[in-house]
Amino acid sequence: MDKQRDFVLRTIEERNVKFVRLWFTDVAGTLKSVAIAPAEIEGAFAEGIGFDGSAIEGLARSYEADMLAHPDPTTFQILPWRGEIDPTARMFCDISTPDGVPASADPRNVLRRALAKAANMGFTFYTHPEIEFYLLKSSQIGPEGPIPVDKAGYFDNVPGGTAHDFRRRAVNMLEQLGISVEFSHHEGGPGQNEIDLRYADALTTADNIMTFRTVIKEVAIEQGVYATFMPKPFTEHPGSGMHTHMSLFEGDTNAFFDASGQYQLSKTAKQFIAGLLRHAPEITAVTNQYVNSYKRLWGGGEAPSFVCWGHNNRSALIRVPLYKPGKSQSSRIEYRAIDSAANPYLSYALILAAGLKGIEEGYELPAETEDNVWDLSDAERRAMGIQPLPQSLEHAIRMLEESELAAETLGEQVFSYVLANKRREWSDYRAQVTPYELKTNLETL
Amino acid sequence: MASSDPVAGQSLAALAKYGFTELDQALTGLNQLVALIGDSGRSALAHFSLAANPDYALAQLVRLAELDTSAIKKLLRNSDAAMRLIRLIGASEALAEFIARNPDCLSLFDKPRNLIVSYQEMTESFQAEVMTSKATFVASEQVAKLRNTYRRILLEIAIFDLNQKNQVQGLPVIAKALADLAAVSLDQALRIARAELLTQEFGKFEPEEIQATELAVIGMGKGGAGELNYISDVDVIFVAESTNPNLANERMLEIATKLATRLMRAIDSNNSESPLWQVDANLRPEGKSGALVRTLDSHVAYYERWAENWEFQALIKATPIAGNIQLGERYRNALSELVWGSSRRENFVESVQKMRERVTENIPAEELDWQIKLGVGGLRDVEFTVQLLQLVHGREDESVRAADTVTAIAQLAKAGYIGRAEASLFSENYKFLRLLEHRIQLMHLRRTHLMPHKVELQRVVARSVNPDWNAEKLLSEWNEIKLSVRSLHQRLFYRPLLVAVAKAESGFTLSDDQVMDRLAAVGFIDPRGASQHIQALTSGLTRRAQIQRQLLPVLLEWFAKGTDPDSALLSFRRLSENLGESHWYLRMLRDSSGAAERLANALSTSKLVTELFELIPEGAAWLDEPDLLKPKTLEELSNESDSLASRHKDAIAMAKALHHIRRRETLRMALGAVVGETKLSEIEIGLTDLAQWYLSSLADAVITSRQYNDEPLSSLIDFGLVAMGRFGGSELGFGSDADLMALYEPIGSTSVAIAQKCAELIIAEVRKLATDPLLEFEIDMDLRPEGKNGPVARSLESYRAYYSRWSDIWENQALLRARFFYGSAELSAGFGELVDQYRYPKSIEQASIIEIRRIKARMETERLPQGADFNRHLKLGRGSLSDIEWVVQLLQLKHGNDLPAIRTSKTLEALDSLVENGLVQAHDARVLKESWVFCSRIRSASVLWSNRRSDVLPTDRRQLEGIARILEYPRGSATTLEEEYLSRTRRARLVFEKLFYA
Repeated sequence: MDKQRDFVLRTIEERNVKFVRLWFTDVAGTLKSVAIAPAEIEGAFAEGIGFDGSAIEGLARSYEADMLAHPDPTTFQILPWRGEIDPTARMFCDISTPDGVPASADPRNVLRRALAKAANMGFTFYTHPEIEFYLLKSSQIGPEGPIPVDKAGYFDNVPGGTAHDFRRRAVNMLEQLGISVEFSHHEGGPGQNEIDLRYADALTTADNIMTFRTVIKEVAIEQGVYATFMPKPFTEHPGSGMHTHMSLFEGDTNAFFDASGQYQLSKTAKQFIAGLLRHAPEITAVTNQYVNSYKRLWGGGEAPSFVCWGHNNRSALIRVPLYKPGKSQSSRIEYRAIDSAANPYLSYALILAAGLKGIEEGYELPAETEDNVWDLSDAERRAMGIQPLPQSLEHAIRMLEESELAAETLGEQVFSYVLANKRREWSDYRAQVTPYELKTNLETL
Repeated sequence: MASSDPVAGQSLAALAKYGFTELDQALTGLNQLVALIGDSGRSALAHFSLAANPDYALAQLVRLAELDTSAIKKLLRNSDAAMRLIRLIGASEALAEFIARNPDCLSLFDKPRNLIVSYQEMTESFQAEVMTSKATFVASEQVAKLRNTYRRILLEIAIFDLNQKNQVQGLPVIAKALADLAAVSLDQALRIARAELLTQEFGKFEPEEIQATELAVIGMGKGGAGELNYISDVDVIFVAESTNPNLANERMLEIATKLATRLMRAIDSNNSESPLWQVDANLRPEGKSGALVRTLDSHVAYYERWAENWEFQALIKATPIAGNIQLGERYRNALSELVWGSSRRENFVESVQKMRERVTENIPAEELDWQIKLGVGGLRDVEFTVQLLQLVHGREDESVRAADTVTAIAQLAKAGYIGRAEASLFSENYKFLRLLEHRIQLMHLRRTHLMPHKVELQRVVARSVNPDWNAEKLLSEWNEIKLSVRSLHQRLFYRPLLVAVAKAESGFTLSDDQVMDRLAAVGFIDPRGASQHIQALTSGLTRRAQIQRQLLPVLLEWFAKGTDPDSALLSFRRLSENLGESHWYLRMLRDSSGAAERLANALSTSKLVTELFELIPEGAAWLDEPDLLKPKTLEELSNESDSLASRHKDAIAMAKALHHIRRRETLRMALGAVVGETKLSEIEIGLTDLAQWYLSSLADAVITSRQYNDEPLSSLIDFGLVAMGRFGGSELGFGSDADLMALYEPIGSTSVAIAQKCAELIIAEVRKLATDPLLEFEIDMDLRPEGKNGPVARSLESYRAYYSRWSDIWENQALLRARFFYGSAELSAGFGELVDQYRYPKSIEQASIIEIRRIKARMETERLPQGADFNRHLKLGRGSLSDIEWVVQLLQLKHGNDLPAIRTSKTLEALDSLVENGLVQAHDARVLKESWVFCSRIRSASVLWSNRRSDVLPTDRRQLEGIARILEYPRGSATTLEEEYLSRTRRARLVFEKLFYA
C-alpha cells in the first residue's frame, strides 16, 4: 500500500498533475467527484478528506453529515480527456465515518463486504461486463422520440460512421486509463453500441464500469453526440443490457471448471447458478433499478424475462457459454438481467451473495432449459416450473422488501434507503399520464 | 569374574541414595548388568544419580546390554560416555526405545561434543542417507530414511542438551537446533517430493516443468522464529514461482501444490518409521479454505486487500526455512513492509485487542493449573508481552524486531524499552518454562504442554531439570515463576509508565514520547491527561499512594479493556480522593481478587455508575461480594423504610433518607448490570420494585404526617395508586418514567369534595418529595382519564362514571397495563372489578378496532419527535416497543374476556399465553419478543453508558460502541449492534403489520 501511495505522489510530481478528482458512488449509482489540489493528497491518504455526506443521495442521514473519503492509491489514473494542459488525475475512494469505520452506505464498502465473505470461503469473484449503450444525435427528444446517430444493426460496419470513430476513440481512452477492452461492436439497435471490458476482480470491474460511463459521456461530448445508458430508450429497438460474465477462483484456479462436469461446470458452479436463479427475482430491483428497466426486461427479443438457465440459450437468464478446450481458466457463466444503468457495486454484491448462498446451502440446480422460453405458452412455462422475473418496478420492490439476503448483503441502511427511494420513484411514475394513454384513450373516450 | 553377590556392599539404602525407587528391582537389575558385562556395570552405578528416572534407565541399560553386549561393555568402560548414555535413557523413554531399535546409535555417545550439531552437519547427514537419484528411488523407503535420520540427529541434540552445564542458559541453542532440524527435514522432504513427482507423475508433467517450479517454505510461529520445541506442529506457508516463461502460472501452481502435499506427507503420513510431526499450513491466506500454494503476487495481493489485522502479527515470525530461500526472502521483504508499515497504524489499538483475546482463549478448566503454555503465568503470557512491546515500539525502531523471544527481550532492554533487571528476569523465566516444556516432551516425544499429574512423573521432570530436585521442589519453583510471569506483563508494560510519570526512581526510564506511545497503544485517547492522573494517584507518601502504586499497573490494563479508559481513570481518581484513606477500600483493592477488576470494568463502561459513585462511594464495597450486587427485594426495602419511618416523623427528612436509599439501590443495580451479575429481567423487576417502594413510602410519609383542616389525612380518605404502562407491566428500565393513576374513597362522612382535595394534596406532596435533583425520578400521570386536562385523582365512583360514559378505546387499552399497588384491599378489589369490564370487554366493536389501528398509525407520524428517524426510535419506531405492545394489547382487548389466561400486564408473559392459546404463531411471537427484549436492553444500556435517557438508537459511533460494550458485544461492534437492531426491528415490523392490521 505504501508503495502505491509513493507511486501516486511521485507521478503527481513528475506529470505535473494540477488536480486530483476523488471519485465515489452514491447508492443510486451516480458518480460523485471532489477535486483537490495535489498538495492535499498526502493528507488525504493519511486521514481522508472530510465532506458533507448528507449532500449525497443515500450516503448519510442529515444528522451525521461528516464523512471522510479515503482515496485508494491502486486506482490512480491520469484522465486522458483532460489533455496535457492542467493534467487531472482521479482515484476512487472508500468512505468512512469520522472514527474510521467504513460507511455502511458506501456502495464500494457493500461490495467489499460481500467480497470479504467470499474470501472467507476461499473465493475471489471475477466479472466481465458487456456494456450496451445508445449514441444519439443529442439529448433532445424529437417528435418520434430520441434520434439515433445511425440506422445500422448488429455487427454492422458503418463506413465513415460516427459510431466507428466513437468506439475507436473510446477504446483508446479506456486503454489509457488502464481498462482493457475485450471487444467492441455495433449492436442491434440504430446507434446502439457494445463494448466488452476484460475480466477483473469484481471491485475493479465495478470501478471500471463507473469510469467507463464517464469516458463514454466525455467522448460523446467531444464528438458532438450524446450517449445514453438508459435501459430502454426506444419502444421498437432492443434495450441496453449489461450482461455480466462471472466466475469464482480459488487462489489461482477457476472454481467453476471441472473437466468431467456437464458443460465442464464444477459442482461449485452449479450451486452458484442455482443460488442466483433462486434469488434473482428478489435482487432485480437493484440490478434493474428504474421504471424503464422493466420495459427492457419485458420488451421481448432476447430479453431474459424468465428465471431459467441454458447452454448457449440466448433467451435464458443465465447462459453457460461454450467451453473452449484447454481454457479451463475461462469457465464462466453469464447473467443477463442486469442493465447498463445499474449500480455495479450493489448489483455485483447481490449477485455474488445469491450465488454464494447456493454454495453454502448446497442448492440443487434445476434442469436446463433448451427452448426459447419466449416461444413457450404460459401454461408450458408453469408446467416446467419457470418463474418470471418481476414485471414492473413495483413488483420488484415487493420482492425486495421480503428479501433477507438483500437486507443482509446491502446492510440494513442501504436496504431501507433503496426501498424508500424506489417506492418514491414508483409513486411518481404511477402519477404520470403517458403518451400511450393519450394516444389510445383520448380520442375514443 | 561374576561373584555370587556382585553388588555386595550396596545396601538398599545406598541404592535409594542413587535415586532408585524400586530398590529390589534395582538390585536385580544391577546384578543382571554385572552378570552381562562385568565390573564396568558396577562402576556405572554412580551415574544413575544423574538420571531423571534411574529405575527406567537401569532397566533399559540391561535391555541394551542384552541386545548388544559388546557395545555396551565398551561404552561403559568410558565413564563419561556411560554418564551420557544413562542420562539420556533416564530422561527419554522414546529415545531409549529408538536406540534399542537402532543399536548402532550407541556410537553417538562415545565422544563429547563441544558444539551442537550445525545446520551444515545436519544437511550432510541427510544427504548421505536420503537418496533421490532416479534409478533406485522408492518414495516410501526414502521417507523412512528421512525420518530415521531425523531421529538420530534429534538424539544427538538431546544428548548435548542433557549434558550442558547450565540447561536453562543453553535453552536457546537447543531451540535453535531443533528449528534447524525441522527446516532441514522440510528441505529434504521437498527433495523427495520432487523425485516422487518425476517418477510417479511421469508423462503428466514434463521434467522441465517440474524443474522450473520453484517452491519456498516459509516457517511461521516458533519454527520461523528459530525457537522450536522438541515436538510440536510446524507452521508453514508455501510460495511458488515459475522460472520458465513457457510454464504458465496455472500449471506451475498445479505442480507446486502436488510438491507441497507430497512434502507434507513425507513428514506426517504413516510409514514404517512413524510420522515426525504435523506440518500445519493453516496460517495461509484464507486459512483452511484457501489455496495451499500461491504465487508471491497472489500472497501480496491477499495481504494488501483482505487480510485481517491479526494475520499481520503472525507474519512477524515468518522466515524462509526450506526450498528456494531467495524466493522466500522476497516473500519476507514484500510482507515485512506490511507488518511494520505505517499504513496499519490506524487499526493498531484494535490489533492489540485481538491479540489479547487470543491470549485469553478458553482452555479447559481442569487443565488450567497444569498448563505450562496457556495457563496463567505461562509461556503465552511472555510471548504476548514481548510481541505487544515489539508492535508498540518496533514500528519506529527497527532494532527491536527479532523473531525469537529471547533475542527480542534482549533487544527491548538494549533499546531502553524495558529495564535490564526485568528483562533478565523475564528472559530467565521464559527459558525455565521452556525447559520444563522440553523435558516433559522429551520423555515420550509427545506434543504436550501439560505438567504431568502423577507425582512419580513429576519427580522425573524435576530430576531432569536438576538431579537434586524432587516433585515438590519442582512445583514450588514453577509456582514462583508463574507468579513472577503473571506480574511481569504489568511490570514491563505498565509499571514503567508510572516510573516515568512520577520521575521518582533513577535508572531506567521511558521517555515522554514512549509513555505516550504506550498509553495510546492500549486505547487512551488523551495520553497526556492520563499521565497526569497517574501522577496524582501515585505521588506522595500516604498509604493510599503506596497501594495505588502497586495496583495501578494492573488497573490501567483493565481500564484499557473498557470503552472509555480516559474517563475511567479520571473517575477512579475522584473515587479514590473521595474515599480517602478508608481502610476497607484500600484493603478491598489490595486483597480481593475480583473487586478491583470489577471496579475498573464498571468505571470504564458506565457513566451512570461513575456519577452515582460520586454520591455513594461506599458502593465500591459491594464489588467484593457479588451477592451484594443483586437487587434488594421489596420486603428488604420495606423493612429498611419501616425502620426509617419509626425514626423520622417529618416527611421531608423521611424523603431525604428515601432519596439516599433509592440512589444507593440504583447504583447497586447499575453495577450489577455492568459487571454482568444481574440479568435484564431481574433489573426490570428490581427497578419496578424500587419505584413502587419509593412511591409507597413517600405516600405513607405524607399521609401519616399531613393533615387537612386539622384532621389527619389517614382518617379522611382511603388513597390508592395504580401503576400503568411499563411500570404496570413490571418492565421498568434505567431512566424509565413511572406512569401512575391515583384513586380514593372518602372515609365515613368525608364529603367527596374534601376527599378530592385531600387526594390532590397527597399527589402534590408525593410529587414534590419524589423529586431528586441528583437522580431524576419522573412521575407521568398522562394516562389518566382525560389526560392532562383531567383531575389527577378520582374516586372509584368518578372512574366508574367516566368509563361508562366517556372513555375512548385507547383509555381502555391503557388499562390493560394497570396494576394496583398502593392502598387498601377493598380499594384494590373495587378498582379491579371496575376496570376488568373495560379492558376485557364482552365484545369489542369493529369501529373500536379500526379506531385503535388509526391511533397507532397516527402516533407513528405525530408522536415521533421532530427529525427523529422512524427506523431508529426505540419506543415508537419501526418494529420497536410500541409495535409489539400494541399487537399484544389489541389481542388482549379482543380475547381477554374469553381467555382469562391472557390477562396480564406483562408483555412477554402475554405473548407466551397468546401463543399457548393459538392466537399468535410461535415463530411470530419469537420475532416480536427478540425485538422487544433487544429494544428494552438498548434503552437500559444507553442510560447506563451515558446517564442520559434517549429513546433513539444513537448514530454517533462512540455512543453505539459504548452501548454495545455494556450489552457484552466484543470491541468494535458499533456497526454490528446497529445492523442487528435494524434487522430485528425490520422483521418485527413485518410481523406487526401482519397481525395488527389482519
